[in-house]
Amino acid sequence: MTDTDPLAFLGEEFLTWLWYRLENEGGDFKLDQGRSIGVSLDDFIAFAPRDDDETEQTLRKGLPTRSPEASAALRHGRRLRRAKLVVAEGEDVWSTVIDGPTMNLLSIKLPEDDPDAENIAERGQGRIDAFLRLQDHIAALYRAFLEVRLESGYLEQGAAEQATWMATR
Amino acid sequence: MFRRSGSVACYHVEDSLPAALGEEFCEALRQQRFRTIEDAASEQTSIGWVTSADPSGNTFEREHMDADQAVWLRLRIDKKSAPTKWLQIHRIAAEASEGRKLTARERRELKEDLLSKLLPRVLPSVALIDALYFPKRQLVMLFGTSNSVREAFLSLFYKTFGARLSAADPHRLALATGLDRQRIDALREITPVRWPDAQRGASGQPAPSGQTAPRTQEVGA
Repeated sequence: MTDTDPLAFLGEEFLTWLWYRLENEGGDFKLDQGRSIGVSLDDFIAFAPRDDDETEQTLRKGLPTRSPEASAALRHGRRLRRAKLVVAEGEDVWSTVIDGPTMNLLSIKLPEDDPDAENIAERGQGRIDAFLRLQDHIAALYRAFLEVRLESGYLEQGAAEQATWMATR
Repeated sequence: MFRRSGSVACYHVEDSLPAALGEEFCEALRQQRFRTIEDAASEQTSIGWVTSADPSGNTFEREHMDADQAVWLRLRIDKKSAPTKWLQIHRIAAEASEGRKLTARERRELKEDLLSKLLPRVLPSVALIDALYFPKRQLVMLFGTSNSVREAFLSLFYKTFGARLSAADPHRLALATGLDRQRIDALREITPVRWPDAQRGASGQPAPSGQTAPRTQEVGA
């Protein structure tokens, strides 16, 4: 139960890639069946230490991704450990903090209840559905990352471009 | 009504479960229902199932767990612990009346005596933790992410249904996203990318050799 996933680093790489993707290609992601979601990083990010003797760095409030501290952390080659995301599909907007090493979704806030829901039970169903949809959206984003990350030429192509962005941002 | 916020840890169900909300399923929950420790005279923890409509654990009506595509489970954890400040107050009073420090044995006896008197009057702390089980997906969403809650839930789930749950961590989540065979194979060999530290003068270009130091892939070495 408390065993650490040997691929926990992938969650951190995912969040860092997502940031790179958002800044370079925008926050729109196509899903199946013609659907799409919009994604943005919100007011909380935390960087993983590069080595055991470094500290975790947390930036909150305002626009932390725009801060000089965030750029400095990227230049030092640090990965995101946690980040608050806003995910939108149509009128529905979720926010959540993703913990990279576990891929747990923390501090989730669901979209507003359906105003057309006729009773409490229906509103409750809508919320359960919304939790599941958020999980599906995050899984879709993660898959988009893995499609790139697991390509044979990733180090020479995708990683190189991301490294340049991290170094010069 | 189900909550609108919270933190979630997801799990995949590794073994088969009785039909959701069938008689066997509900009976399994009843067998592991919550049992109160309100009147207990010792420090202890009680963990068991309740429903959203009945936090006592006495009834398990299907309609209170049936959430359409999901089964709404609720875990109750009660903990009764010694009120340490009271123990401290009584020890100080005893030492003042004796005019000396109590020996280790006297302290132990005093504590046992006080616990037997105080604990029946102490109400346990109560935690209610929700979980959603999606039978078609064999997925469980647990609305609690602390180690103690996750351990309690996994243990009770196994005791109840004899089924193991595996955390939807980066590895298992990757396997569940429907990647092609080539990428699944690549996942077995994957090692972390070590991004260059531009502040220390690395070039920012990838290393063609790929693997460098054990278990990392250097970019821009």
